[in-house]
Amino acid sequence: MGQPTLYELSQITVGPHSFKSNKPKAARRFKPARQLLTDETKYLQSKNLKFDTPTYTSLVSPPTLKPIKKYCDITGLEGKYKCPSNGIRFHDVEVYQEVVKNMTTSLDQEYLSLRGANVVLK
Amino acid sequence: MAPSKKGPEEFPPQTKYALKENTVTQVDQPFYQHYDTGVPIAIDMGSYQLRAGLTNSNTPNNIFPTLMARYRERKSNQLLTLVGNDVYRDPLIRSSIKSPFDGSIITNWDYVETIFDYTFAHLNVQSTNESVNNPIIMTEPPATTLNYRKGLYEMLFETYNAPQVTFGIDSLFSYYANTNGKPQDAIVIGSGHQSTHVIPVCQGKGVLSQTKRIDWGGDQSQQFLGKLLALKYPYFPSRLTPANTTNIFQDHCYVSEDYQHDLKHILDMDILESKDIVLQAPVEIVPEKKKSEEEIAAQTLKRREQGKRLQEQAKVRRQEKLLQKQQEYEYFVNFKSEFEFLTPGEVQKRLQTENFDDLSDFNKYFTNLEKSIKKQEHNEEDSDDEGFNDGNIDPLTAWPLVGIPDEQLNAEEIKEKRKQKLHKGNYEARQKSLEDKRREEEERAQYEQEQKEWRERDMEGWCSSKRIELAQIIHRVKERNKLLESFKDRKSMAAQQRMRSIADLANDENGSTNAASRKRRRNANATIDNDPNDTFGANDDDWNAYRDITNVNLEEEQAEDSKVILKLEEELLTYDANFHHEDTLAAQTTFDWKNSSLHKFIHGPRPNISLAMELEGLEQDEIAAHPEIIMKNHQLHVNVERIRVPEILFQPHIAGLDQAGITEVCDDLVNRRLGKFETDSPSYNVIKDVFITGGLSNLPNFDTRIVNEFTGFLPIGAPLRVRKAQDATIDPWKGMKLWSDTNECKGSYVTKAEFEEYGPEYIKEHGLGNVCLME
Repeated sequence: MGQPTLYELSQITVGPHSFKSNKPKAARRFKPARQLLTDETKYLQSKNLKFDTPTYTSLVSPPTLKPIKKYCDITGLEGKYKCPSNGIRFHDVEVYQEVVKNMTTSLDQEYLSLRGANVVLK
Repeated sequence: MAPSKKGPEEFPPQTKYALKENTVTQVDQPFYQHYDTGVPIAIDMGSYQLRAGLTNSNTPNNIFPTLMARYRERKSNQLLTLVGNDVYRDPLIRSSIKSPFDGSIITNWDYVETIFDYTFAHLNVQSTNESVNNPIIMTEPPATTLNYRKGLYEMLFETYNAPQVTFGIDSLFSYYANTNGKPQDAIVIGSGHQSTHVIPVCQGKGVLSQTKRIDWGGDQSQQFLGKLLALKYPYFPSRLTPANTTNIFQDHCYVSEDYQHDLKHILDMDILESKDIVLQAPVEIVPEKKKSEEEIAAQTLKRREQGKRLQEQAKVRRQEKLLQKQQEYEYFVNFKSEFEFLTPGEVQKRLQTENFDDLSDFNKYFTNLEKSIKKQEHNEEDSDDEGFNDGNIDPLTAWPLVGIPDEQLNAEEIKEKRKQKLHKGNYEARQKSLEDKRREEEERAQYEQEQKEWRERDMEGWCSSKRIELAQIIHRVKERNKLLESFKDRKSMAAQQRMRSIADLANDENGSTNAASRKRRRNANATIDNDPNDTFGANDDDWNAYRDITNVNLEEEQAEDSKVILKLEEELLTYDANFHHEDTLAAQTTFDWKNSSLHKFIHGPRPNISLAMELEGLEQDEIAAHPEIIMKNHQLHVNVERIRVPEILFQPHIAGLDQAGITEVCDDLVNRRLGKFETDSPSYNVIKDVFITGGLSNLPNFDTRIVNEFTGFLPIGAPLRVRKAQDATIDPWKGMKLWSDTNECKGSYVTKAEFEEYGPEYIKEHGLGNVCLME
């Protein structure tokens, strides 16, 4: 038996299948993830839940209470210093001279976006 | 530059790993041979993979990525629907690959239906009543959204008419499988494709109320790695695909056992040697035809001959031109001599026939012609008659005419005298410079002598005073460098100061409020160019203002100081036994890639080969076309990233995620949320079995790191035990299979009738599943 063609592979999925009704059904409504999450929040608010009921929103890990360690945005090494003009953290003078100092604005935003420190215009 | 004692160091070539695309699996998904009605079907559907099988088998029958593609084939114009690994069979399909998931949420239920069709078809589900006549056990994430369960309920009950359905949490099923169906107390850390969960288990039941979710998993890690590499290699010839980065992440990333320590040392040469991973993107190198020695020699010979021929041709042409000019000259000499016998009117006429405006125009042309001929003749004759020999000139007798007054000489002699005067002047100037040189030499010898005596008298004192002098000059040079550097920045203090002084220069020297400048302002006709009050330039020193503005002084001083530094260093090198080449300024400031963290970060523990080639004297385009360089341009070095990316699970803020990491969540859980940590308390019991599962648990060292972190916040002697799932990918399915036989499972099925009555919120709670939110 040779390789099945893509069409044959497709037929496995498309059917017809004995295990389901092959009648055409009404199309489902598509909702983007963000809207589904809003729906979920609304649904949870509409319910009278106890404070410790585990829900999608209550399960999320809380913001950290520990001091945040600082790392170089370029190399990921320890980042002791911060460039005053664009806020990039860097490891040593070499990284500053070679990369940070002459960085274009769009590039520094890209580096900052790695740790969510970029400027987001709304 | 400091000559190194050894030759250039030799490095063995690094192991190169291929940059992997998604492997095209031509292995067909198997069809299940033992389908039986009524046997529960277990489906572990994650956002990365789906594992499905009937529970009368020991392993899931089908494992494939949760992906599908709808694609119109060009040739046959057929609409194809492909699922799982089949989407990788044709590279053309790649752009239409879709996932039903967006993050951890299912958004497209049509895709889910397609994937389920594919799954049930491969499980060989046979039916006579358009239904899947098997109970279905499915996984869902902890505290899933209502939409998720509603979608699955509707799908299973309405589309497939399943008789009964139950849900459980994948990580807990995995734990269940790894305890052989006897869950006790544990902390389950499930790190999957989209999120990571920490679930405590007490007396065999998952405690959902104390569960925490960190929104970071394999997919985010893979994306983050992609961003890092794109920023690290902005000129990488091909774009890294998600498949590339996923493979890099799976194959080469590992959890650091002690992140701070590893970070400090990962770029140390010996450690980097083992930690640096070279990834080679596929590249085709067209071998360039190499020219042989003889060919090159022949070529240069040919080129040289050609040059010679051209030179000769040019010479011939020049001589021809000269001849022509000479003829012209002779003609015009005759022409001119005729003028003496003609009236001015006739002369004018003659001139106009020769295309001259008037006599002055002709004279100008004539003298120019004369000059150019003379010059050319001169050039041809004594092009090699240069250099002076003052040796046999006697200054007393060489220029006899110079001393004689003009009145005693005839015209010819006066001309000769002028010539001799010039020669004499030149001779004297040369003598003077020789004299100067001699004096300088003497001074230097004297200085050397003094230094030598000083050294003999007090070697230590000499050394230290020289060193101090050197240090001072170096300091001065550095300060000046700083100043020069700061001029480049428009906003710096020095640059501002300079702008101010320029502005002052443009103003009147005495300030702008005096009477003269007011008068100037009133006089609208006086511009800066014709201002009668402007005396700039009357004094030669005025022009120094421009020197001040352009920093010429600074640069000159800098050059002078660097000369002095070199001289001092040379002296110290010869006489001071403790001053070595490494101590010279040049050696300290020359680039050594082994000390450069940036170089090692980007190029790994190997020198820059393109620089070496440049030193060898290869041309730029020759270097660019060099096969080794092309190979290198298609290489990625992964070193810090290997630990940086997995570290996000422990420090989510690295990726800008404002959530507590695994350690902090567990610390809080054990030391606070589960009550006081004491013998036989719930928190005491759970740490006896810390269980890691999910796709990311395959990262090396994950368990050792968890041990380290837990030891950090647990009291000494706590009975900590940490283990990984045996096979994180299929253990949840195995757990479901194991659990399907239990009464707990049988009691948790929701039937279609119950679903229709109670709606999608309704589930029957059990130890491995979610909490029912119904009131």
